[in-house]
Amino acid sequence: MTEYYTRMGDGKRVLMTKEAIMADIQAGTADAADMAEIPALTSADMEKLFEIISDKNRIVGVEPGKEVVLTYDIGQLDFTGDNGNSGNGVDMGRLEAALLHERALGADTFELAHADYSIKPVKPIIANEMQTMEEIQAEIIAPYFYGAMPNMGLYYAPDGPYGNPADLMREFKIEESMASSEAAAEHLARDIEFVGTRIIAAGADGFNFDTTGSAGDADCVGTLNGVKALREACPDAYINVGMAGESVMGIHGSIEFEGQVVAGLYPHQQVKVAQKAGANVFGPVCNTNTSKSLAWNLARAVTFIKACTDVAEIPCHVNMGMGVGGIPMCETAPIDAVTRCNKAMVEIANVDGI
Amino acid sequence: MAYDNETKKLHDALVSCKVPDIKAAVDEAHAAGMPANDIINVLGDSMSEVGVLFERGKLFLPHVLAAANGMKAAMELLGPEMAADAGEAKDAAAVVMGTVEGDVHDIGKSICSTMLQCAGFEVHDLGRDVPKANFVEEVKGGCTFCGMSALMTTTMTVQKEIIDMLKDAGLRDKVCVMVGGAPVTQGYADKIGADIYGESASETTRKAKDKL
Repeated sequence: MTEYYTRMGDGKRVLMTKEAIMADIQAGTADAADMAEIPALTSADMEKLFEIISDKNRIVGVEPGKEVVLTYDIGQLDFTGDNGNSGNGVDMGRLEAALLHERALGADTFELAHADYSIKPVKPIIANEMQTMEEIQAEIIAPYFYGAMPNMGLYYAPDGPYGNPADLMREFKIEESMASSEAAAEHLARDIEFVGTRIIAAGADGFNFDTTGSAGDADCVGTLNGVKALREACPDAYINVGMAGESVMGIHGSIEFEGQVVAGLYPHQQVKVAQKAGANVFGPVCNTNTSKSLAWNLARAVTFIKACTDVAEIPCHVNMGMGVGGIPMCETAPIDAVTRCNKAMVEIANVDGI
Repeated sequence: MAYDNETKKLHDALVSCKVPDIKAAVDEAHAAGMPANDIINVLGDSMSEVGVLFERGKLFLPHVLAAANGMKAAMELLGPEMAADAGEAKDAAAVVMGTVEGDVHDIGKSICSTMLQCAGFEVHDLGRDVPKANFVEEVKGGCTFCGMSALMTTTMTVQKEIIDMLKDAGLRDKVCVMVGGAPVTQGYADKIGADIYGESASETTRKAKDKL
């Protein structure tokens, strides 16, 4: 029986038969459909996904004419950083890194980022970031944004002034926990407006919010309120809202954005609140399960993202990288898996960008 | 099956996450003569279902805590009877939880601590960026489960260092070591000699309960 070379979610190489791959595709799409109450992939989609996964070439690509926009998060850090995870460790300045991405790596957009890549630590150094933004804007041609994670965890004890909601919950102080989340969300929104308006005044073409909702539903609401304020203050700014996971984790449970409870929202619902807040682009995410196969993870991810692009009124640039979008969770994601996942997102999930 | 009606009501009340409903279902089952242990077992199984529903975005943390609060009330009511049946009171297993030194990520570990607490474990959550020796001290102090979280490839190696410290202290065989976090996999857990790898909070809790 023919076996195909493929991967597990932790990057391990495995051989699987067509029957085994198809069974995992069916199980993966069924899991997403059940979780988000969305349609599973069609038989034609699943057959196409099998063709992509079982392609004999190590690297696959999209058909001519189906190329999409490539936009990068974390700025120069994925190139210059060398902290043992995914950086290349090539020492250069932020200007050189930006130009290298634009002129050698084919980035359609790029962003300036601070080493901590979070909104809060940028506040005290905003003047430095504004200066760098101005300098790089004078040389770069591609749209050049500022990027940071909302990372509302930094507003909770011991890093910030508000009690840690998860700790308070464990003490059954549920109302106190909710109040802490709400206060932190308001603080985050103020900081987003502070940082965002200044960096855009310095010439940034827009702002990329990376891993929205990583600290749960209040983090998501704080970010959306910050985006709304930024949109009002900077009507022409290009705002990209990227998420942290396929579901908004309900730490608070009932906090709302514009009358919508955000806990438990899936990508096809998340995009609607992002649109309402004023985002120009939405970055849906689906996390990889390391114990399942590439086929299971990719089918699941494509199902979530396809449902999202079906209803989106703004472009969707899916997050693709280590441990998201069906790509295995390992230090250097294998190129065979990376290209297969990207092709599937473009040709089956119909994303507008990566 | 005996007590079918009571079992269903207990399950439905726990999954509804409403403390008054849980208390009422427990009172009703108790009055019908359902053994205390059976009541708690039904609630425990339903609590596991609540954990899965949380992870699938169908329930949120306040719901999970409300269900746990209801279960806690049931334990208080039925505890003496259970202890009498067992001949002696059984202490909850103690778990030390923390994100390893050098890593400041908190939320996944905190959710896992919450789930373990809801499942009846006595949780000693040390927070994040926890010095290695503190895990060992907690095991010396009686924790029989040691849960270590790491969210970065640069800090997951600390999990192995702590396992080695437990071995050096002669404690390794006395504790069930649990590891988790985004970059951690079953393969890595096997490689460093951990007992449990948790892909998610509910999976970790289920596996920990299986070890009791």
